[in-house]
Amino acid sequence: MLSRVAASFYWLSRYIERSDGILRMLKTNYASSQDAIQGFTWEPVIRIFSGSDQDLIDRLKNDSRTVINYMVTDKNNSNSVLSIITLSRENARGVQEHINTDLWQCLNEYYHIVKENSLVNKLKKDDPISALDILIKQVMLYYGTAEVTMERGPGRSFMNIGKYLERAIQAIDILDIKFGSINHNPDLLTDTTYWKHLLQSLGGYELYLKTYRDGLEAHNVLEQVILNNDFPRSVIYSVNNIQRYFDRLKLDSSMTDYQELSFFIGKLQSHIKYSSVKGIQNDGLHLYLTQLKDQLYQIGNLLNERYFANS
Amino acid sequence: MYKAAHFDGYHSIPGVWDEMYLQSSDIRAHYQKVIDYLSQESPDELGKKEELAQRLFMKQGITFTVYNSGEGIEKIFPFDIIPRIITGSEWDFVEKGIKQRLTALNLFLKDIYHNQFIIKDGIIPIDAIYSCPHFTREMYQVDVPYDIYVHIAGIDLIRDEEGTFYVLEDNLRTPSGVSYMLENREITKRLFPDLLPNCGVRSVTEYPNILYKNLQSLSPRRISNPTIVLLSPGIYNSAYFEHTTLARLMGVELVEGRDLVVNNQKVYMKTTTGLQQVDVIYRRVDDEYLDPLVFNPNSILGVAGIMGAYRKGNVAIVNAIGNGVADDKAIYIYVPDMIKYYLNEEPILKNVPTYRLNNPDEQKYVFDNINKMVVKKTNGSGGYGMLMGHAASQEEIDEYKLEILKQPRDFIAQPTISLSAAPCYIQGALRPRRIDLRPYALCGPDGIEIVPGGLTRVALKEGSLVVNSSQGGGSKDTWVLA
Amino acid sequence: MPEFKIQHVTRYTYDGAVRDSANQIILFPIVDIYQDVQKHDLHITGNPIVDTHVDYYGNEVGSFTYSVPHNQMIINSQLVVNTHHRPLPVDDIFPAQQWDNLAQLQYTVPYIDFLKHEYFDGLRELQVVVDAEKKEGDTPYQIALNFCQYVYKNFEYIKGVTTVESQLDEIWKLKAGVCQDFAHMLTEMLRLVNIPARYVSGYICPNQSGMRGEGATHAWAEAYIPNYGWLGLDPTNNCIANETHVRLAVGRNFLDCSPVKGVYKGSSGHHLQVAVSVGYQDHEPEPAIDQFVDRVTKPGPFAGNGNDASKNSYQRYMEMIQQQQQQQQ
Repeated sequence: MLSRVAASFYWLSRYIERSDGILRMLKTNYASSQDAIQGFTWEPVIRIFSGSDQDLIDRLKNDSRTVINYMVTDKNNSNSVLSIITLSRENARGVQEHINTDLWQCLNEYYHIVKENSLVNKLKKDDPISALDILIKQVMLYYGTAEVTMERGPGRSFMNIGKYLERAIQAIDILDIKFGSINHNPDLLTDTTYWKHLLQSLGGYELYLKTYRDGLEAHNVLEQVILNNDFPRSVIYSVNNIQRYFDRLKLDSSMTDYQELSFFIGKLQSHIKYSSVKGIQNDGLHLYLTQLKDQLYQIGNLLNERYFANS
Repeated sequence: MYKAAHFDGYHSIPGVWDEMYLQSSDIRAHYQKVIDYLSQESPDELGKKEELAQRLFMKQGITFTVYNSGEGIEKIFPFDIIPRIITGSEWDFVEKGIKQRLTALNLFLKDIYHNQFIIKDGIIPIDAIYSCPHFTREMYQVDVPYDIYVHIAGIDLIRDEEGTFYVLEDNLRTPSGVSYMLENREITKRLFPDLLPNCGVRSVTEYPNILYKNLQSLSPRRISNPTIVLLSPGIYNSAYFEHTTLARLMGVELVEGRDLVVNNQKVYMKTTTGLQQVDVIYRRVDDEYLDPLVFNPNSILGVAGIMGAYRKGNVAIVNAIGNGVADDKAIYIYVPDMIKYYLNEEPILKNVPTYRLNNPDEQKYVFDNINKMVVKKTNGSGGYGMLMGHAASQEEIDEYKLEILKQPRDFIAQPTISLSAAPCYIQGALRPRRIDLRPYALCGPDGIEIVPGGLTRVALKEGSLVVNSSQGGGSKDTWVLA
Repeated sequence: MPEFKIQHVTRYTYDGAVRDSANQIILFPIVDIYQDVQKHDLHITGNPIVDTHVDYYGNEVGSFTYSVPHNQMIINSQLVVNTHHRPLPVDDIFPAQQWDNLAQLQYTVPYIDFLKHEYFDGLRELQVVVDAEKKEGDTPYQIALNFCQYVYKNFEYIKGVTTVESQLDEIWKLKAGVCQDFAHMLTEMLRLVNIPARYVSGYICPNQSGMRGEGATHAWAEAYIPNYGWLGLDPTNNCIANETHVRLAVGRNFLDCSPVKGVYKGSSGHHLQVAVSVGYQDHEPEPAIDQFVDRVTKPGPFAGNGNDASKNSYQRYMEMIQQQQQQQQ
């Protein structure tokens, strides 16, 4: 497989996953902003997806509509859903002869919906949740179509590696920022809505309720988001899948490249697998998360160097 | 006459060759079967077929993207459902003419980059060659496989009021549009079931196979399975759809410049398993952008060092580099002389009379008769930068004259030719619209092959003589009868 | 019979690791009866295979690739060259006959390529100068010398005011430049009066007589004189380029002769340093590598991931789209 084609598969999928994360995050936080009379802040969300640019945070004035529009439809925001779906679609266009028409059309439709003026209006004037739901549905449609139509070959493996790498990084970012906020505001530690929203934005609230009977506790949240093998948005689940799909690339790799990356991924997988919440908390959560993220980035860099010819 | 309403009010344009009607308003015999078929259809049904065609094009993604201020808009190349029909004997003539012309053009390219006999014998003035920006000195004394320079040619033909075929221009660099020849035919199969075999229409589907066979034969490595790639500028190119289609139909890899790298005068593509040597490149990137080391250093579409690999014969490039000197519109004037010089034959296909604007006498003549002239850039294509004298305002003409006087070598003029017309289905009725014809010739070690057909482009605007897609042109399926 | 030991070092230093570099060098002295090469050692970082061919103008051109990631590339060319004095033109044929002779060459190869003058904004002013300098009854030889002197006297030799990409407009406005610009101007003037003129790149070896152009590659012009051939004229030093000038390449302009050029992929910035040092007879040259003369160059040609440092990502993206759209026929 051409290196550029592999890279396009990987990136088109990373961008889709990122858009999914942004949309879910916006939806939960908007709902949350409706619950809180005061004290609600969009700052963590902005920091997760746009970095800690104080000017930007000031400019958006903590206004829900402004923030949502900035994160979804702003052309000048390189990380808005519009911008990343445009990139995703361009990557798909470059590999059009390797994907099924259905998948292309699905992505194309997603792109056209994000671009529509009516969406901006809905986000500005109507119920933003309905508008966000339309987009979230497009992502789900995409995942279903990809699952059903994609040839079980290296293309799909690169797609899934991209998807799960992005997902793991997002889970880590969310934890890092949400738990980081506690340092400035220890009251949050016992604020049940705070944890509820974190779980909801990852789609893990219901699973949590089923798993833990003793209410919302920070260390349980941590356990579920990092270490739960059955939670599809946990870090360990994502890394297990990176390992799983990378393994399938064995025949489409040069042996040395394969072995080096395989070793690296395996090491990360064991590192997480043999972690415990207690141990993590003893060593410092922020440090732990930073290490994981570095290693995930390292996997991305190695893929870029060894498989994508730096494309 | 015919009962069907859509035939009412079809009036051949006076003084214009109509492909369907004789002057007596009788149908030409080769259109009879199609007319019979159409006259049984109600305008409604034809309207539905038109819609179906549109839908099929959109659905199959047969689109090009127009970029306006950074926003991409998907468009389809307008398609007219009524086929353009060429008789077997007309085709034989055209085919012979193109083969002759292409043979001479290939000999010319070989000559101009080696011995330059044709200059020494005074057939073509040296100045015309050396002032051509596409005369590529880097190609001097470079040998190409089988001495073939033009592997793929798109020769634009038009017919005057007598029905005589003329060559309007030669496209010998990276001619496009062949995917529309193939797709238009596929659509017609869907629109008019059984009509093609009933009329005895010859097939065009062999095109990708012939091209593939030719590409394969050029491989410098004598191996059973050489690596052949199609080099595309990328997704923003308006012909990107064509690039993906051809790559798919030939089963070759579609690559971009950044997928390739040159190492020790050999070209490789970067794959997930490492570098893989490339033997043949069908490129759709212009010469100027092909190698930033040798040509335009700002090119981000090319492959640095590819010219060196080509010079060494380690990779075959299709079409050859430097062909622009042969399809320059100022050199076009000399193609009939080339045919006589190299082949000792009379040209079968005529040239349109052409005036050089760097010749003072011819320039004066053109300026005096500008209302009857079409002025073109010698290196232009796609209908851009043309002046249609009969339709331009005095202001436009004056402005254009100033442009000409700055660089007269860059312009030629031709008398406005009254292109032939063919029936088109326009808003529920048949109407005559002007057309041209671009057959695609493939030149390989076994000779020149032309699939019976081509791209018929049509000026869909009433009264327009410009068939280019950028100027409101569309296309038709082109039938050649057995 | 002067013998020169020349060391010419070109060093590219990159801000980060770069890869897939493709390069072209024109560093092989012309060999004819006035110049021969005793010895030529060429060392390039990574020891790539240098493939050579003869170009359209008869120059020997080398090309090589260097694909593994690297932070630096040095091209070290060490030469021992002998030159021989060439007698000057006798110039005893009637001027009219000589001009006639040139007129007949106008439409022949190779002269046609060396007669095409460039259009630039100052052309009309230059034409006035050319007409004034060209006296009735002068021979092409005399005129060539006049023009050479004109450029020498009217243009100031200042390093760094122009770049390798400077056009005639800029030089004409500044009335200043370096050897490359002087040679460019002289070829334009000669072509305006129908004297075929070539651009020459090479080395100047003045043996401590304080000529301009030492320490770097030099450039001058050649004029075609009837019954003589190509005559070297160095407008930077107002002299005939003879046994003190070692010729590397000839062409229509700088672009045809650029001694070293390359394209690579990777991080944006690079720094180019060039040094030339000459040793005479038994004296070894000072090691050139210790005495780099910085040349003001714009970041050179780039390709690949569109990494021209002078443009932002958006501009590069738009440029890519534009280039992709331009390709059609």
